[in-house]
Amino acid sequence: MRSSMKTPVSVLRLPRGPDPNSRGFDPNSPRFIALCPTTVPSSSSSGSADEGEQRLRAELRERFLRTLLLMTGKRVRFDMHEHVRVHARFGASDIDVLNLQVSDLETPLGVQREALLRCQDVIACSFEA
Amino acid sequence: MAMRQTPLTCSGHTRPVVDLAFSGITPYGYFLISACKDGKPMLRQGDTGDWIGTFLGHKGAVWGATLNKEATKAATAAADFTAKVWDAVTGDEVLTLAHKHIVKSVNFTEDSNCLLTGGNDKVLRIYDLGKPEAEPQEIAGHTSAIKKALWCNNDQQILSAAEDKTIRLWDKNTKEAVKTLSFDASVSSMEYIPDGEILVITYGRTIAFYSAHSLDLIKAVDAPASIHSASLHPEKDFFVAGGDDFKLYKYDYTTKEEMESYKGHFGPIHCVRFSPDGELYASGSEDGTLRLWQTAVGKTYGLWKCVLPEELSSENSEALYCPPAEIKA
Repeated sequence: MRSSMKTPVSVLRLPRGPDPNSRGFDPNSPRFIALCPTTVPSSSSSGSADEGEQRLRAELRERFLRTLLLMTGKRVRFDMHEHVRVHARFGASDIDVLNLQVSDLETPLGVQREALLRCQDVIACSFEA
Repeated sequence: MAMRQTPLTCSGHTRPVVDLAFSGITPYGYFLISACKDGKPMLRQGDTGDWIGTFLGHKGAVWGATLNKEATKAATAAADFTAKVWDAVTGDEVLTLAHKHIVKSVNFTEDSNCLLTGGNDKVLRIYDLGKPEAEPQEIAGHTSAIKKALWCNNDQQILSAAEDKTIRLWDKNTKEAVKTLSFDASVSSMEYIPDGEILVITYGRTIAFYSAHSLDLIKAVDAPASIHSASLHPEKDFFVAGGDDFKLYKYDYTTKEEMESYKGHFGPIHCVRFSPDGELYASGSEDGTLRLWQTAVGKTYGLWKCVLPEELSSENSEALYCPPAEIKA
């Protein structure tokens, strides 16, 4: 056995690890504030136009999300690329709206009990509210 | 009084760390990006190792990662056949560049306007980031997968290392190979030092230094184990290397003597780089961690604090964390 005679260098603390709840890039960090244009600018004509656009975007987004909620459990018709049109019962979307979880998907090959539809393949969906 | 190196371990990755890169020195310090097989490259504050953010979006192992000089942009190369460009301040994905195979290497030009990519489809690609929809310029020639591609000589030339055991120097404009170096073994890593035009190459157990202009050999050193990566200190007084035996070696560049070796990682070391100010070097390992090591052991820098013996036993030492002395069997 050989014990180290040298004193180990002291550290103030250990490096901070990732936050399990977020992807980071703190918007309150000095670097972020200095380098990123603020999304709510002080009163100026172009500023209000941006604000108006942002409000419209928020409204559209909210409408989209409410539509997804309303669609849950309903029989939905999906119009997809390559002239594909299928019916299925809509379950849920993933957080980034990349995939849609559906049940009893009616396909030319038969009914698929559970399936995932890739959003980038879907052109439109329609249903009876 | 001789002190023992205390490496700082940066955890967070869940799979091997295969590449890392530092930015230049910015008004907010310097930054470090790490590429990991878990598909989630991370940005850290360079001098402390503190996590800043994770770039989310890749759907496969990330093999290469880089930052531009100002640390405002990041680029990553992944097994999902894409290279991505990111805003390194917000963490947002800015661009996805589709490739035909696994992408292994990404590198910005000094002005951050162009991105060089290379990977398993054996073709080097140059993307104009001002016109991202335009087709990239392509340079073909390598006969196997490209492992690393770097801009050099004022971004007028490109250096690429591939599994075909060659390193080629290309002219960016003519897209012709100006020079080729052949080796007996596959080159495991390549680092380009613009100041002094030096190329650091590792293959087998060898760390070799070449002139980036002429590709003439300057000197070569053999290490005790197979080396996966090496880095030359900005002032060119030392270089560090790490590989299969989990240890980090520090050599005197002038005399080629091994000065020190450090244990700490629990797996082979895949990448090692000096910080832009030369005060520390970072290593990435199969064990999923990054470790930061001091160049001048015992100096006050970043999270390391030079403590005089009297201070250690005084009341003022409460804020300090002193790692327990290890007993080596």
